[in-house]
Formats: sequence, C-alpha cells, structure tokens
Amino acid sequence: MSEAREPLRRIVVAGSGQIGALAAIALKRALPGCEVIVIGTQQSPGAFADNANTALPFTNKLHDRLGISEAQIVGQAGGSHRLVTRYFGWSGQGSHGAASYGAPSDPGLQTAFTRDWGGGSKNATTTRPIQTMAEALADAGRFAIPPDDRETPLSQIDYALRWNVPAYRQILIGTAQRLGIVHVDGAIGAIRLDGEGNLAGLTIPGQGEIEADMFVDCGGPAAPLLSQMPGFGRKDWSAYLPVRRVHYAQPGDAMLALEDRVTLLSEGWLSEHAGRDGLQSTLACPDAVDNIAVARALGSPPAISVDLAPARCREAWIGNVVALGDATAQFEPLAGLPLDLAHRQLALLIETLPGRHIEPLERAEFNRRAALMMDGVRDALALHYAAPHAAKIFRAEATDHVVRTVDQFTRRGRMPFQEEAPFLTFETMGLLGAMGFAPGTPPQFSEMDPRQIEATRRTAATKAQAALEFAPPYPQWMASTLESMKAQTG
Amino acid sequence: MTMGASKPVRVVVLGGGTAGWMSAAGVAKLLPSTASVTLVESEDIGIVGVGEATLPHIRGYVERLGIDEAAFMKATHATYKLGIDFRDFGRIGESYIHPFGSFGEEVAGVGFHHWWLEQRRRGMAGDLGDYSLAVAAARANRFTPPAQDMSLASTYGYAYQFDATLFGPFMREFGVAIGVTRIEGLVTSVERDAESGNVTALILKDGQRVEGDLFIDCSGFRSILLGQELEEDWQDWTHWLPCDRAAAMPCTHETTDIRPYTVATAMPAGWRWQIPLQHRMGNGYVFSSAFCDEDHACETIRNAAEGEPLGDPRVLRFRPGRRTRSWSHNVVGVGLSSGFLEPLESTSIYLAQMAITYLIELFPDNGIVDPRDRDEFNRLVDMEYDRVRDFLILHYNATTRDDSEFWNHVRTMKLPDSLEDKMELWRRAGRIEKYSDGLFYDASWIAVYIGQGIMPERHDARASLGDPARIGAALDGLKRAIANEVSGMPGHLDYLKGNISRLAEAA
Repeated sequence: MSEAREPLRRIVVAGSGQIGALAAIALKRALPGCEVIVIGTQQSPGAFADNANTALPFTNKLHDRLGISEAQIVGQAGGSHRLVTRYFGWSGQGSHGAASYGAPSDPGLQTAFTRDWGGGSKNATTTRPIQTMAEALADAGRFAIPPDDRETPLSQIDYALRWNVPAYRQILIGTAQRLGIVHVDGAIGAIRLDGEGNLAGLTIPGQGEIEADMFVDCGGPAAPLLSQMPGFGRKDWSAYLPVRRVHYAQPGDAMLALEDRVTLLSEGWLSEHAGRDGLQSTLACPDAVDNIAVARALGSPPAISVDLAPARCREAWIGNVVALGDATAQFEPLAGLPLDLAHRQLALLIETLPGRHIEPLERAEFNRRAALMMDGVRDALALHYAAPHAAKIFRAEATDHVVRTVDQFTRRGRMPFQEEAPFLTFETMGLLGAMGFAPGTPPQFSEMDPRQIEATRRTAATKAQAALEFAPPYPQWMASTLESMKAQTG
Repeated sequence: MTMGASKPVRVVVLGGGTAGWMSAAGVAKLLPSTASVTLVESEDIGIVGVGEATLPHIRGYVERLGIDEAAFMKATHATYKLGIDFRDFGRIGESYIHPFGSFGEEVAGVGFHHWWLEQRRRGMAGDLGDYSLAVAAARANRFTPPAQDMSLASTYGYAYQFDATLFGPFMREFGVAIGVTRIEGLVTSVERDAESGNVTALILKDGQRVEGDLFIDCSGFRSILLGQELEEDWQDWTHWLPCDRAAAMPCTHETTDIRPYTVATAMPAGWRWQIPLQHRMGNGYVFSSAFCDEDHACETIRNAAEGEPLGDPRVLRFRPGRRTRSWSHNVVGVGLSSGFLEPLESTSIYLAQMAITYLIELFPDNGIVDPRDRDEFNRLVDMEYDRVRDFLILHYNATTRDDSEFWNHVRTMKLPDSLEDKMELWRRAGRIEKYSDGLFYDASWIAVYIGQGIMPERHDARASLGDPARIGAALDGLKRAIANEVSGMPGHLDYLKGNISRLAEAA
C-alpha cells in the first residue's frame, strides 16, 4: 500500500527578491505546516528576472493560484497590461511586426491566420490581412479586464502584466508575512554538506547556522547555493546569444500603453516598456559598442550597465538544492522571458514537490523538464537573432531548433512542436511573422476553398469589431478602476 | 496561391490494404490538385486487415476526409469503444479498464491519483475506475457521445470497433470515387534512377510500367520498396515485445447487448482479444511463437471463444519493430512496411494515420523530396513509435504472473532504459514522466500501473495533509455524479438502434 511521503518540514529560500518572495509564498501555500524561511541577499542588477517589471501571461495564472491579486498589483504596484510587443527593424529598415499572446479558439481562424500571417518584411505601408484581436485593441488603445463571471468579447484575450518592481515586491512580502513566512536579514556565508551530497546547513554571518530539508536558490546569477554543490556545471550559450552588455536608462515619464516596443538598431536592440511608474528603456549590445554609441542609442547615458555571459546550469536541482530563475540561466531581458522562466520553474517545483527524502529520479525528471524550459527560452531568444536584419547585426549561431523551425515555417508553413516551450505554437508563429519570416503555404492549405478563407476572415473581423466596441479606452478604464479602488479603501 | 498550375505530383501507393487505401484516400482528398494518386494492388495478395479496434484519433481522420460518421459506421459494422478491459494481466483474476478518459481532477495542484492513493490507504476509496466516467459507462454497457463543454460529461472520448476487412474496401470505394486510379497487378521489378537512387517506376507482371514521383510503400511486411528494394534497416523489438503471431477467429455474438469496449485477456503465451462489432465478435489470440506453436494457439482460441465460430482460425505472422528510417529517397513507408507494434493498445491504424498526417504536412513540393522534410518526418515517426513501444512493454512487464515461460520472460526481461526510469519514478514517487506530444499521457500510464498492481511506494505528501473527511466526501461526490451521469445514458445497443443510419442490415 502506498504511503504519503513525509512532508518537508523546513525550507530555506535564499534570496528575497520578487522571485524568492513568490517562491516562499508558493511553498508555504503548498505545505502550510512547513516552516519557510527567506534569507535576504542583495540582488545584483544582473539578476534580470528578479529585477524584471514584466513577464508573460503564464504569470497571471500563477498569481491566481497563489492568491496574488491582479487588482492589488494594479492598485498598489502601478500594474498595467501589455497586449502586444511591437518589433521594429528586425527584418530590415522600416520593418514592423507585432506579436501577441494566446491563440484564437476557432481552429478555422488559426488555419486562415497561418496562411496569411507574417508575410515577409512588412513595412508601415502594408497591412496584414488578418490581425489578432489583441493587435486591433492595442492599435485602438482600448482594453479592460473582462469580468470573470461571464463571457465577453474580451474573454479570449491573453495579456502580460507590468508593474513597479519594489511595490510589487512589497505586496509579496505582505502576503508572505500574513502566511507566517519568516524573513532573516543577512548574507549567505559558508555552507555545510552532509555525507550524501545534500546541503545540511548554511551559515549567516553573525546569526549562526540554519538547517533545512530543502534549499531554494533564488539568489541571482551567482547561484550562491547551487554553485557550491558537488557536480555543479554550466552550459555556455554565448555562441547562440550575442548580447554581452545590457544598459538601463533612467526611467522616463509615466506612460500608459497596451504595447511595448523592441527596436533593432545598429548598436543592438532597444526595448521600451511602458509603465505607470515611467518608461523603461533598455539597450542590449554585443561586444564592442562604445559608450558614446550606447548613450546615443539609449537617448541618455545609461543609469546602470551590466555584463552578461549567457549560460545555463547543467542541473537546476542538485542534492536538496533547487535553483530558480537567474540562478539557473543567465540571458538578456527580452520579451518577458527571464521572469517567465523563473515562474514556470517555480510552478514545476510545486507540481513535483518532493517529500523530506528526495528521490534521485524525481530530481532527474525535474531537471529534464527544467532543462527543456531553459533550452526553450534560449531557442525563443535565438529566433530573434535569426531575423534577417538581426542576423547581420548580431551574427549569432542559430540553434538546431531554430534552424528547423525557420526552415519548416518558411518552406512548409508548419511549426515543429517543442516540449516546455515558453510560447505557444501559435505565439511563436506570430513572433516569426514579426521577425519578417513569411510562412510557406502548407500543402493542404493551398487546396482550401477561398470562400471558406473569406468566411473565416469575416468571422475574425466581426469578433475584433465586437471587442473594440466592448472595450473602453484603456486610460479611461484605468482611471475609473483606480478611482473605484480608492473609494473602496478610502 | 494554388499549385494547380504546376503538374500534379504523381503519387504511387503500393498495396491495397488498410494503410494503402487510407494513404491513397488521404492524399487524394486533402491534396486534390497537388497530387494525382495511383494505387497498385493485387487480388492474389491477402490483406492483414489489422486493427479491428481503434483509438479516438480515427475520428479526426474520418472527419477531415469529410466522411459521414454514420455511413462509415454502417459500412464497417462499427460499434462505439470507450476503452479496453484488460483481464488477467497484472494477476490472474484481476481486471481494469484503460479508458479514453480521465480519472477525477487535480486538486490544489496535486494529481487526483495521489488523493486516491491516500484515501485508499485509509480504506476509504473504491477502485480507481469508479472515478472515471468512461470506465463506469463501459462497465454499464452504456454509451452516448461526450458533451462539448467542460462538464463531467465531457471527460471522455470514444473510438470505434469495426470490421477491418470492411474498412479497407470502404476507403477504396471512397478513394476511387474521389479520383484515385486503381491498378490491379503484381510488382515484379522496381526501376530506380541510377544517380539519385530514387524509385522511378514499378514494373508489373503484365508488363505495365507505373511511373511516379513519390511512392508510398504499403506492401505490408514484405515491404517491397523500403525493405526489399532500398534495404532500409529494421530494428527488431521481439526481445521486448515477443508476440509475433495472431490466430484470428471471428464468432457470432449475442446481440442483446454490445459492450462499448474491447476485452484483452492475458493468456499463457500472449493475450486474446474480443471485439464486439454490430453482427459478430472479433476474436483472436496474439501469441509468441517462441512460447506457443500455431496449432496449439488455434486450439486455444477455438476453446476460448464465446459464440459460434464463423470459420477456422486464420494465423497472421508479424514482426515487432520498425525501420530505422520510414522515409528513404522518394519512398515513404506507411503501415506494416515501416513498422509494427502489436495490437494490444489498438495503435496500428493510429500509426498509419499519424504517418499520413505528417506526410501531407511535409508533402514534397513538385515531387522533389527535400532531405530536411524527410529527416523531420523520420524524427516524428521515431518519437511516436518509441513512446508507444514503452507503453506496450509496460503491460507485459507490470505483472506478478509466473504461471508460464512467456510471463516469466516478460516479467524479468531487461527493459529499455527509457521505460526503466519511467517505472522507477512511478514506484518511488507516484509520478509520471510528462510529455505533451505523441500518444498516451498521464491518465493512460496511471490506469495501467494501478490496474496491473504496480502501486507506488510513496505518494505526494500534500495528499495526507488535507482533512480526510472532506477528501472522502469529494471522492464520494464524484462517484455519485458519475453514477448519476451513467444512469442517464442509453445502453450502447439502444443508442445504436436509436441511430439506425449507423447500423448495417443484419448479416
């Protein structure tokens, strides 16, 4: 007869940034009887996930499960919504494409979309035959969070959330405190291993040693715990990921927008994240871009600059130490991927939560899936650098998966499936389109009845129209939402 | 953009069995102006007619080809299938149903089976099957199509049990009607291009020369093009799946009630099937020639079969394994010529359908094969075969049976590493290796593990932390809801009778 496993009794989370705080909340919610201790360690600016002000739609689902309310993020942490990311210049001067989230629920629409989407290097004067509903809304500047108790024309829209990092972290800390999570302010000192390759305890200088059943390393790119475990190793990604230095500008003026922008420049790429706390501009450069060029591209001298050596760990879980986010993989902050990876790894840990005695094969299964996740992120990034114009600027090597995907998409209009990928197949198709790759026509679509395609297109247009009519102007919705929140709390 | 302007690709299908006509009809229907399809078959060659039972995926094929389900069911004497009842596999006297459906629901992020294991330990849970609507409906001999919403009534799927010897001809009629050219003849030689090695034409016994750009080898185990002509490697899997014969003997059956599921009963040297069709019961013994001779197998099935035999047992021979490359040069193997996995989980027609689907996605532009498409096809086919293979081996290895040499062999054989790790992960922690592509996901693995008595030593700690009374109430509530749902379903036979267009005239 199967026995329930003995639950973990104490978990130490190293790192009190937004990832460590959310990990602690997730663990405590999963195991209310377990003592969860967060040790605060200073986050370096190179912790791209821990410093990220946005992720991907998956994060909203995770927040839901963990009781982190979106309304609270909007009300207290400057939360705002991104429906699309616009890419400028990736397939050539003046080119423009947009990538959104989710997939049309209607398979016919997906098919027609596949046929028509992308279409080579789009410039500002050509329009795409079929637009995603999210793009139509972003163009019109209209959106509202649909009520979750009934179906509305906006119910199918997937979006990513942005926030102010310190304020968001405060929300998490408040939640953690209510759940009885203990916070120890201090640095990580020496670690002590037991005879079985597990971490028995770690010393906090001046405060003694803490023992635990499991340690979760959210301590940033240095991976303060994981890197000290026997057998730790890294896989170099520098051939595929060309960014070596990331420059952050001083935050600009507050900006409310449903889109973010990533522009390809000769110096690298410039991302502009709108935010109610200010526009965040980030420039990511390959080697050998001088300071003058950086300041010119960024519009001002950078407030912070960070070196990057792209890599991932071989195994994210060694002994009883599990690393998440920056501690597992280091790569540029593009497309919301750093924090999304951290959050998906956290969800994987909760899904496969071990008992006090950790089984080698469950560790192996976690590591297998976590590695697929990391490589999926690497491939999603590498896909950007395979874009026609980006390839000239960055000269990065394409990964096998990117070579296969670009080949299959452009010649056959088909998408090879990838396990644990950060984007849905349909989202990746959108991204390929935004990168200027024109889809090949799948053999079976070349035979489709044009009337059927026309009907599908009309359906899409009708749905988009309904969404536009339903959605108020986004700034107006935001103002009234904040107003009513104030009224409730005030 | 249509390809109507360029010359259609000449597709030649070799072999008029199930795979041959599924391929010919699929290509002709989905690529009508891209391809012209010719099928070469000979009345002198019998067909194996594999796959009397199918997986739910077949519905997608039937639908995509625009075939009316009722007409299809009528022509093939089809009944509905909710799963397979495995008897005597883990231990003689035990049985379980592997359903086309799920067991319960995840609660608080923890899989249903962990909660079930915990309640089971406390002596407060019924059989796992009690928490599956598909299992409960099957046990009650009831059927109705699943709902399309997110309700309990939507938690299952269905497939068909049909007469495989009628399915091929049905597809032939369909194929010929949409323009497939059928040529009667035996292939005596194959012409190839000296430079590329591509097949250029088939030469028939009567001297006819059938030219083509792309050849689909559906010549069964003889594998005339892929095996004999191109000498593509065959990976033999007999050491893992020792069954290599089947003695088939259809019988009459009582039509007062028709089971909406297939029965697979473990036997001393393999297993036997009972597949209820509209007018007869498919019966057969799948066995290993290393452990049982053909005469003995025929005798066994004669004795075991219920109902009146409709003929003498017919012995089929097969080889478990697959070609290392199913697509080589301009020849694509579909069906037995490219690989065979025994019918224990009704995967034969699925594997043919899968190959056809990928072939259509990767169909060579203007008939010129791009090596990248060929590699992609072979990569996908490998993945599908390997996953099905491991799942099939599990059914034999997960047993305590020691009553015959056959079971001693499969119980103690060295497993593929991929399966060894999957089973060990289950035993130690009650977890399933997760993938989202291919066949057989968590629920299927859990059904077989638990059904065949491979209980994990440990399950998720979280399952023991909840209030036992509340968990018990939730399980009981689900069981009641399922019973209630089943009581509202018509009997399987009544449902068929109520949909008269699906019934063939009495034989």
